[in-house]
Amino acid sequence: MAGAVPVVHQEYNYDIVKKFAIAAIVWAVAGMGVGVYIASELAWPFLNFDLEYITFGRLRPVHTSAVIFGFGGNALFATSYYVVQRTCQARLPSDAAANFTFWGWNIAIALGGISYMLGYSQGREYAEPEWPIDLLITVVWVTYFWLYAETLRRRSQPHIYVANWFYMGFILATALLHIFNNLTMPVSLTGMKSYSLFSGAQDAMTQWWYGHNAVGFFLTAAFLGMMYYFVPKQAGRPIYSYRLSIVHFWALVFLYMWVGTHHLHWTAIPDWTSTLAATFSIVLLMPSWGGMINGVMTLSGAWDKLRSDPIMLFMITALSFYGMSTFEGPMMALKSVNALSHYTDWTVGHVHSGALGWVALISFASLYHMIPRLWNTTLYSLRLVYVHFFLATIGIVLYIVAMWVSGIGQGLMLRAFDDYGNLAYTFVESVVFMHWPLVTRALGGAFFLTGMLIMAFNIYKTVSLARRAEAKASAAEAAGLAQA
Amino acid sequence: MSNADNQGRKGAETTGHVWDGDLQEYNNPVPMWWTWAFYGTIIFALVYWLLYPAWPVGKGFTTGTFNDITFVNKKGEEVTTHWNTRALFLKDQQTGEQAVKQREYLDKISQSSYQEIMQDPDKMAFVNSMAKVLFADNCGPCHGKGANGVVGLYPNLRDDDWLWGGTIEEVERTIKHGRNGYMPSFAGVFPKEKLESVAAYVLSLSGIVGEDKAKIEEGKHIFQGEEGGCYYCHTDKGTGLKSQGAANLADKVWTIANVPAAATYEEKLAAVEKVIVEGVNREMPAWQGRLPEEQLKLLTVYIHQLGGGK
Repeated sequence: MAGAVPVVHQEYNYDIVKKFAIAAIVWAVAGMGVGVYIASELAWPFLNFDLEYITFGRLRPVHTSAVIFGFGGNALFATSYYVVQRTCQARLPSDAAANFTFWGWNIAIALGGISYMLGYSQGREYAEPEWPIDLLITVVWVTYFWLYAETLRRRSQPHIYVANWFYMGFILATALLHIFNNLTMPVSLTGMKSYSLFSGAQDAMTQWWYGHNAVGFFLTAAFLGMMYYFVPKQAGRPIYSYRLSIVHFWALVFLYMWVGTHHLHWTAIPDWTSTLAATFSIVLLMPSWGGMINGVMTLSGAWDKLRSDPIMLFMITALSFYGMSTFEGPMMALKSVNALSHYTDWTVGHVHSGALGWVALISFASLYHMIPRLWNTTLYSLRLVYVHFFLATIGIVLYIVAMWVSGIGQGLMLRAFDDYGNLAYTFVESVVFMHWPLVTRALGGAFFLTGMLIMAFNIYKTVSLARRAEAKASAAEAAGLAQA
Repeated sequence: MSNADNQGRKGAETTGHVWDGDLQEYNNPVPMWWTWAFYGTIIFALVYWLLYPAWPVGKGFTTGTFNDITFVNKKGEEVTTHWNTRALFLKDQQTGEQAVKQREYLDKISQSSYQEIMQDPDKMAFVNSMAKVLFADNCGPCHGKGANGVVGLYPNLRDDDWLWGGTIEEVERTIKHGRNGYMPSFAGVFPKEKLESVAAYVLSLSGIVGEDKAKIEEGKHIFQGEEGGCYYCHTDKGTGLKSQGAANLADKVWTIANVPAAATYEEKLAAVEKVIVEGVNREMPAWQGRLPEEQLKLLTVYIHQLGGGK
């Protein structure tokens, strides 16, 4: 940390990276806070207070949007703008366009959140905003694509670094997914309501083609891009295998597109679509693990740093959770496993082992690495980074284990028979059973949120101290000039 | 695996590219175990595709082989088809272990009269096993999982007080065709004093007698006369009329006004007055057509015996 390289501020647009980095932390606190609240609503339903604005149904998309698109999205904008400029040795082509992506993106998420609480929703998971907000997102995303591609084109390096392939794949795929899944016909130009262009099973399959690739490209490929830059940087070692990175990149982006239908097993979709989704999910396992292998093998050889560098702890734990959840996912995509796991908390646990364990931890590591370099300083407290790490890890473990117990228990209860071949349990008995796991889950979330608050404090101190030091230095410089 | 890691001092080779000062890549080969595991998953997929419907071809799809399902269709004919979830479901309904066990009893239930079912402990054990879940999943949302109801909203089915009759035939009719419980609102009909009088009389019917006897007498007059006309449905003794779903006011069971929960006589009066002013309008939906006949039969027996049926 101490050896942070002084940077020439005019060379790159760091202002935009700073904005997105801070926004990521703000959204993380808000989104995780809402997450803990809705988890508590499920454990103690009185917390709904009979207010429609804050019932679980309306707050849940506020939570998912704030953490995926607010926290995750802003972290991706920040790191991708940072990485593309530094690895291409080129400045973003337009400061105004970059600022537009910042304000456009964040206003869209805020408007989305308000609209859900007021009851506006397309009812499409992770694509809840109604059409006017979708249009804003589209314009922002096309601008993002142009900025990114143009920076790549202007690079003064002969080769494009691997992190940029992943970021580029993410930007392209997200554009495709967002546009096709949101093809709707508004009821009127002055109203929010619209109807999907597709219907029935096709509509469901379009939604889950979107939904799973949001996981694949937004939450996996993009964060692998983050991993491919920040892991070797923090470890001070080269990436383990260039060849593996090529093979697993193309395999990953090719295979992900096929698997979305595994969210619809045993429903009204054609059987052959179910088969393809299940088998491609299995084939996707090794390409997913390619990223984990490359990350872990890059860190190996620098294991001694785990003792002195908490950021490395975040990275290795993130890669471990990435490996675990990308193994669990294909298993759950098998029809026989899915028959038990679907519609239970197991799914919720699975998505959080990926979202908290992989996405959030690798983002924390990257932000802890990047923020001191942006403000040309060191972190306010490394000890607090350790505290954050342990709170986050305990939180994730509590969360996942609680959801395994709840989900598998629920799945087993709903398919249990008695001696007469009758259902052994009523639905509400399965709900009663879930109470304590749901309480434990809320507790796990509270641990994770506490860690996040500590990070926010640590970053706040880091940035404000850096600003004060900078002000002092420029005052001294001015005084020096005046004396001369 | 560690042998494949020719990093560090062992003389690693990078691709020769350098970015951002120090970012490099080793040119290590893809680990062998990764490659073989990847091929393994592809073989898994190929076998899967051979066995199950998998690839779209023209307007059809590859159906899979070695995996046919035989079941009996609606016409009673045996049909053999390639694997598909619909056939799998039908076959499970017809020959699945649990379905066969359940069918055996359901057939017995269908062929038995209510009397035969209720006199046979073996059949009753089955009724209690299956109807418990049917009740909790279908009736429980209103009446409660334990059938205790909610005072003021949904009748308690565990007591032996039956608004619409508690014989097995009456319970069956209630379930199949639903009920619409109605009492007109008397808002604005009586001045406050007369309202109080009627409430005082109604309370006195079940032994809650206030001190103002004149009031009770006045209430009785309204109740049993044309001024209130309450006796049309509740009868002049206040014992209720099952054909109208009119409550028996002379017993100690209260389904709408929560009299037992009120501490003082004044509060009890207020609770009854509220019902007279607001009236009652509640509906139980008809279940015929929503559940199969045999399940309606099970529920009828189950609910009938909950309250120690008549």
